[in-house]
Amino acid sequence: MDKSRIVRELAALVGRTWVISDPDELAVYECDGLTFLEKARPDVVVLPDNTEQVVEIVKLCGRERLPIVPRGAGTGLSGGAVAARGGVIIGLNRMNRILEIDLANQRAMVEPGLVNIALTQAVQDDGHYFAPNPASQAASSIGGNVAENAGGPHCLKYGTTTTHILGLEVVLASGEIVRFGGKTQDRPGYDLTGIFTGSEGTLGIATKVIVRLLPRAEAVKTLLASFRAINAASEAVSDIVAAGIIPAALEMMDRHIIGALEAWLRIGYPKDADAVLLIELDGPAAEIEAQANQIKQICVRHDALDLRIAGDELERALLWRGRKGAVAAVGRITHDFYLQDGVVPRTTLPRVLREIEAIAKRHACVIANVFHAGDGNLHPLICFDSRREGELQRALAAGAEIMRLCLSVGGSITGEHGVGIEKIDCVPLMYSPDDLEAMRRVRAAFDSDSRCNPGKLLPTPRSCGDTNITYRPHRIEREGLAQRL
Amino acid sequence: MNSERLTRALAGILGADHVLAAEICASYAIDDHVPKAVAFPGDAQELAEVMRFASSEELSVIPWGSGTTIGLGGIPARVDLVVGLTRLNRIIDHEPGDLTATFQAGILLREVQAALCRSGQFLPFDPAGCERRTIGGILATHSSGPWRHRYGTARDLVIGIRIVHADGAITKGGAKVVKNVSGYDMNKLYIGSLGTLGIIVEATFRLYPLPDVERTWIAAFPTGDAAARALTQILHSTIVCTRVELLSTIAAQSACRQAGCDVPAGAVAAALSVGGVPEAVETQIAAIGTLCRREGASAGCLVEGSAQTILWKTICDFPSTSDDRLSWTTLKASVLPTQVVDTIRHTDALVGRLGLESAAIAEAGCGIIRLHWTDAQSPAASDPLSIAKGITDLRGWITDRGGSLVILSAPPAIKTATDVWGPVGNALPLMWTLKRQFDPKGLLNPGRFVGGI
Repeated sequence: MDKSRIVRELAALVGRTWVISDPDELAVYECDGLTFLEKARPDVVVLPDNTEQVVEIVKLCGRERLPIVPRGAGTGLSGGAVAARGGVIIGLNRMNRILEIDLANQRAMVEPGLVNIALTQAVQDDGHYFAPNPASQAASSIGGNVAENAGGPHCLKYGTTTTHILGLEVVLASGEIVRFGGKTQDRPGYDLTGIFTGSEGTLGIATKVIVRLLPRAEAVKTLLASFRAINAASEAVSDIVAAGIIPAALEMMDRHIIGALEAWLRIGYPKDADAVLLIELDGPAAEIEAQANQIKQICVRHDALDLRIAGDELERALLWRGRKGAVAAVGRITHDFYLQDGVVPRTTLPRVLREIEAIAKRHACVIANVFHAGDGNLHPLICFDSRREGELQRALAAGAEIMRLCLSVGGSITGEHGVGIEKIDCVPLMYSPDDLEAMRRVRAAFDSDSRCNPGKLLPTPRSCGDTNITYRPHRIEREGLAQRL
Repeated sequence: MNSERLTRALAGILGADHVLAAEICASYAIDDHVPKAVAFPGDAQELAEVMRFASSEELSVIPWGSGTTIGLGGIPARVDLVVGLTRLNRIIDHEPGDLTATFQAGILLREVQAALCRSGQFLPFDPAGCERRTIGGILATHSSGPWRHRYGTARDLVIGIRIVHADGAITKGGAKVVKNVSGYDMNKLYIGSLGTLGIIVEATFRLYPLPDVERTWIAAFPTGDAAARALTQILHSTIVCTRVELLSTIAAQSACRQAGCDVPAGAVAAALSVGGVPEAVETQIAAIGTLCRREGASAGCLVEGSAQTILWKTICDFPSTSDDRLSWTTLKASVLPTQVVDTIRHTDALVGRLGLESAAIAEAGCGIIRLHWTDAQSPAASDPLSIAKGITDLRGWITDRGGSLVILSAPPAIKTATDVWGPVGNALPLMWTLKRQFDPKGLLNPGRFVGGI
């Protein structure tokens, strides 16, 4: 590849300022939120300003047979925005405009680089908001949320990103601009918006996103309950759901997280608390008042040590402070951690948590747990020290065991972080060769040469369309921790 | 392959009891095309075997649930074999604590609800003809009803799916958990694909708890505009409705009368449900009543209990077969919520010029309008070509405003004269590529989906 010529041609398309080719500057792009697995430097990064420039870039990459890797804020946790096979990263950060807000119909059209929270900020004075709120919402882009089908604490009640996406403008690998869905619902044809959402950049580049906006709830109530035993907390979760209550959020933290938070933020959880539940209700005031009372009784029944209810926005923020700081707090108790993202049916939580405990013992490591208990989405943080020989390996092995555990109870290897490069080799644990073949057909229909974000989501290529990808074993495979099936 | 050989071959796979030969297949005709045989596989493996056979013989296959919405889709290019899914009618799994359940595709929605109800749960599907619908049919046609206002559609409720493909491969998508981003979200692809990419044999759903109480407020408005003003305010308020239905004059008379609520002649009606704990339901219903009166509602009724059940069943089943107004043509318009009333008004004027009547039932908050065109005098007298032209004109008006209009059912003469689906946009070539990837021989429901897929 004649890199300097390609840089020149890209510069002619978007302006020299918006092409990054200096090795030091490219280092910024060698990983995303997944920092400890293999890193890969793109050949070039280009930052287009509009759809037409994206088209020209994609066509140029097509002529040069270069992989194209769309990237938003780079906050993803599975390595989805990394140029695993080199090529050109198309950074969409400049395409961050709000193109239309149609409050009367509760919709908006935005560019993919728009930061998630900015959309809510733009409509909140009119009593509306954009519901998907991944933990990264202050930084992550809506295009990235679409690519990963991002979740967050409130998707128990309001659904993940896909529920809120009505339409897309997409640039395909061929350079064609296609429109999926639209401002109105149920447009005739296959649900291409639905299949594109969560496709991790492997089907094309979204250049416009039409989203749903929701009216703010009348009232919000946040409760925090501490329990002596994690089992009691799990049972409380089951009872809340059995009572017919669907909270806006239902989050759990275990004793490792509680300890780390206390050491750092001194939130004041009870000393002997083994688990903390954060429960948020939203809706009509009379409704959540009644539900909060039910939840109080449930918590008392399960011997809650402590129950706090936020009376105002300030207290609410205080109760959330621990949950929001949970992952960061783990940095106080370990040098590195491997954040897992498995999902299990809610009723299996007590058993699964016990088995994770056993996995931690077997691998002689600490596994801290902070998770979306309401939808069974676990986030075990496997603690290790990368400076010590063999610890990363142990952490990865523990992670693989947790994934197998999730699958053994009918769950999934990832609930919201995506497959990316991190879990690409674990996908065959969940899907049969025929299941994967169906996915490959989708891929082939959108991008027959597999030039969009190669090396992500779909494991080892089999179909002839994928032949220009060279196979490299994943780290956990090289280290003998997982096998291809 | 002639019908006799075909029947014999299928009997070899399924047993003679589960195959109908040509002479008794008339009730399985699709737009007057009678299949050569009808096969009823007992499970996914048997269906896979039927598909491998069909594939090797290059026979076209039409999946069939209860047949309720078989009218949806273009006139089939070829009809060799109908595959009936009624024997796949089991509840595979229901875990109340997880609010999830897995059903086979051929089970009737009525049976699903009866089973879930015992655990105080339900699957929020209430499409037209809901009692008689099968799960697979609802998914394949992406049917929805009033509940979509609060609960969304199959695209929001399906978390896992099992498919038998054209080549006989059996695959799954998703899992039994409500959150899952491993691989492509294959559920989305099959839902609403009208069986053209594969046959749905099983699906896993997220369920909802039945609300403690649910009540419905019916408000009658002298004009559509008054109704629209009231609905806009409600949709932008903090009131959480489970259903927000707008009924045009004819539908309002029929449905509200059944529920024991008198609506003045010529009025349109809005029916709004709220569910939850009693005190919250009461305050919200009161707020809805006040808002409607302020915008000029001339009458209002609180409907609960069995009257409420009857009201929503009547809306679901409209127009009832016992009604003397038999539906000629049923259409689905999808517009922006702010365009619903205008669309209904425009339709009424257009249909009036054709000498027909139109009844509209709309999920107003979603912008989905079900239109029933009838000729009260003499259905046979209506000229299919003029109705087809009416559909084309209305479609032009709606697509100019960014929406879409699909024929849900119509006599073949109308379907021949106008496109069932209307314009698909510039992604049609991509849809065709997908179709060829999944069904290269074009065996599944050929010609019935968008753009001739």
